Amino acid sequence: MLAGLLLGLCTILIVVSAIGRYALTTPVPDSFDVSRLLIGACIMWGFASVGYRGGHITVDLFVEMMPERARRWVEFLAWAVLLLFVVLLAWKMFGRVDSAMRSNESTFDLRLPVWPLMALIWAGTAISIFTVTVRLFLLASGKATPEFEREAAQKLD
Amino acid sequence: MTTPDLIALVGFLALFGMMALRVPIGIAMGLVGVFGFAAIRGINPALNLLATSPIRVITDFNLTLVSFFILMGIFATNSGISKELFKAGNAWLGPFKGGLGLSTIAACGGFAAICGSSVATAATMTKIALPEMRRYGYREDAATGVIAAGGTLGILIPPSVVMVVYAYITETDVGKLFIAGIVPGLLAIAMYMAALLIGHRKSLPPGTPFSLREAMRSLAGIWAVVLLFVMVIGSIYWGVATPTEASAIGATLTMVVGIVRGRLNFRQIVDSLTEALRTSVSVYTVLIGAMLFGYFLAITQSPQKLTAWLVALDFGPMGTLALILLVFIIAGCILDSMAMIILMVPIVYPVIVHLGFDPIWFGIIIVMTAELGLITPPVGINVYVINMIAKEVKLPVIFRGVLPFIAADVLRLGILVAFPAIVLWLPRTM
Amino acid sequence: QEYNLSLAHWVPATHPLQVLGMEPWMQSITEESGGRITFTVYPAQQLGAAADHYDMARDGIADIAFINPGYQPGRFPILAAAELPFLFANATGAVRGLTEWYQQGGYDDMEMGDVYFCMALTHDPGTMHGKEPILVPEDVRGRTVRPANATEARFVNLLGGASVQVPAPAMREVLSNGTADITQSPWQSLYIFGADTLVTHHLDMPFYASINGFVMNRGMIDGMPEDLRTIMTNHCSPEAAETMSTGWAGAEAAGRASIAADPAHTMHTPNAEQVALWQAAAEPLTAEWLALMASQGRDGEAMLQGLRDALARYDGLYGQ
Ligand code: NA
Ligand code: NA
Repeated sequence: MLAGLLLGLCTILIVVSAIGRYALTTPVPDSFDVSRLLIGACIMWGFASVGYRGGHITVDLFVEMMPERARRWVEFLAWAVLLLFVVLLAWKMFGRVDSAMRSNESTFDLRLPVWPLMALIWAGTAISIFTVTVRLFLLASGKATPEFEREAAQKLD
Repeated sequence: MTTPDLIALVGFLALFGMMALRVPIGIAMGLVGVFGFAAIRGINPALNLLATSPIRVITDFNLTLVSFFILMGIFATNSGISKELFKAGNAWLGPFKGGLGLSTIAACGGFAAICGSSVATAATMTKIALPEMRRYGYREDAATGVIAAGGTLGILIPPSVVMVVYAYITETDVGKLFIAGIVPGLLAIAMYMAALLIGHRKSLPPGTPFSLREAMRSLAGIWAVVLLFVMVIGSIYWGVATPTEASAIGATLTMVVGIVRGRLNFRQIVDSLTEALRTSVSVYTVLIGAMLFGYFLAITQSPQKLTAWLVALDFGPMGTLALILLVFIIAGCILDSMAMIILMVPIVYPVIVHLGFDPIWFGIIIVMTAELGLITPPVGINVYVINMIAKEVKLPVIFRGVLPFIAADVLRLGILVAFPAIVLWLPRTM
Repeated sequence: QEYNLSLAHWVPATHPLQVLGMEPWMQSITEESGGRITFTVYPAQQLGAAADHYDMARDGIADIAFINPGYQPGRFPILAAAELPFLFANATGAVRGLTEWYQQGGYDDMEMGDVYFCMALTHDPGTMHGKEPILVPEDVRGRTVRPANATEARFVNLLGGASVQVPAPAMREVLSNGTADITQSPWQSLYIFGADTLVTHHLDMPFYASINGFVMNRGMIDGMPEDLRTIMTNHCSPEAAETMSTGWAGAEAAGRASIAADPAHTMHTPNAEQVALWQAAAEPLTAEWLALMASQGRDGEAMLQGLRDALARYDGLYGQ
């Protein structure tokens, strides 16, 4: 929800910069860098949300042929693998943010430091550790149902 | 077999194993990529791929349009634009035999012109067109088959999220790719209509009387679609805006149109944003995985070896192309079409370039194999979506209904392979 | 022990820099080492995004990487001095001087200490190409320009123009659809990227250079036996930089001859007075860089003078 609003903000930023570029022939400074970093933040915060609710692209064919109990185990295992990935990602991505801060990486136009926005992206990854863990607990305790049947609109092609 | 070959082979097996156990495809690709890379270059460099690569993918300006086109499609769906399209289609095509079915195809094509997703197109049309067709006595297989097939137009007629991803992977011009989809899209509409009239001829009910006044009035309802398509795809064609700007403007305009017509309130806007974000995340996750997996493949030099092997088989360009398309069609039966493209295009694209095929043309051909994958058993996402909304229609019934359209798809694939000019003529006028 | 080194870059495998620069360089190392050092090249971003190539060498994802420090503004402030306009008269002598200045001044250790800095590189100097004549700074006012790098983008803004930042492959598109009136480019790249028919007026002066370079993984180079390490470091010298850049520079410069020979194109050569106008207009960029150095406690004036001297030593300084 919060990340969704962030996406709205990005849309507006790009629209404003496009209008600025064509109608006023004055580009909005750093709209390029800021919008792409903000989208990155949206995606990682959204990643946290998907880590809790599910909605990743998966191959369901084989799991659907399994009995109910086995499915539950497979679902738990799959989410454990996701947790491993997220932990590694959060650890290494922190190094990237740290490097950006130490080396004064900045935006092209206004030379603003990029690390605060990168830190926002990292925060989404860190929260993913939490959301994925929570879902793992819920799966283990039988409180969450595996996502056999997914919302139609969440699947995309 | 050299050590890197062996590692690559083990990597592929691990990938398929994890995927079968329902590990998210992007995560499976990412982990195999990292640990495969580690097997060749050591664990620390491999883990550092995670420091640079994922953040590079999610902050890539050329990918931002993925989210915006998804958002545009969701705004279009939630503001019920498909209803007017279906009405207009029916006012003009209703009088013919099977008129409602023809209208459904036309409306799918119209909706595809503002929505980049096939599933969304199929889902929204199921809600609008299925009850109508039932009311007029269409058989279940024909009614659902036509929606499942019509829905696949969503990724062929621009905008198309699948095309954005293909363009990103192969570094081709996404604007040209969009424009290249228009003529094949119109061809697809015509051929689907023919497939309906021929393949389901025994079960189609007669049409309804034509009313010129109603037909003219129906046109007034579709102004929004025409406006959005001209603004978004037109501005890309005429070069007024970059595809990224066009996508952001398109999403904003679709929202504004929805608000103006009183179809979107604040709550729905927020819901649409959230839904678009979740869908975007699922695409980005596969892309992140694909990049990591791609670095692993590069370090094992597998794509080069595959190219050399395929070229050495000496099937000739057409023979090799046929082999590749066959693999894609088979993979499309089982895999999600987005995942299929992200997983397989990087591997076969060097071969295609080596054989001298046009990258834009190949993009359209690949989108069409993805379309096929959406409706072929056992895993046809469009068929599943219809089944999810209309639970009383059983899967085998829908799969039976799409058969004539699968035939049309295969025929169309053959036509476009034989006559690439159908694809390439329009983008060359840009 | 034998080494198979991975060399990662982000231009096509057919680019003159690979064909005429990297390949002879690698071959020379392989020969001198008696085949104990060999290479595998990963072109066209096969191992990572262009802007990540520095980190890739640092982290050992590749052993050697081709970098553009200007892709990460602010990260390599000292080397950014070389992006200031009107410094380079050519590529070959200039990269020799630039590499010497950067290595001997110890600047590579100050801002690229976590890699082994091998050499700096650049293309034959690029300039402005427009749909209308360009001769003096005033000709840029109110126009939209596709700048070649971040420093040039600031310069365009100083001149009263608007910049449209797209990569070179998108140059043709923005020119043909009217988004940009002017582009910055080396000469041959106009043909490479299909912009030659769109911009027919050319400011004939060495206007700017984008800086590139090669860096290597520290652990890799430190772990080599003495004899092999010497072969590697001998190939990472100001002279080696000049050799590496010669073929590429020739290819870009050939483009200038093609344009000059084509009656459809007009070259506008500024006189000394007009050149001075451009240089005066660029003064604030130099001032900004000096201020940046001062804020880091460095003597920018002396550093910049050192760069000018080094460039002049190899006939690479513009206006000498
Ligand atoms: Na579409
Ligand atoms: Na399928």
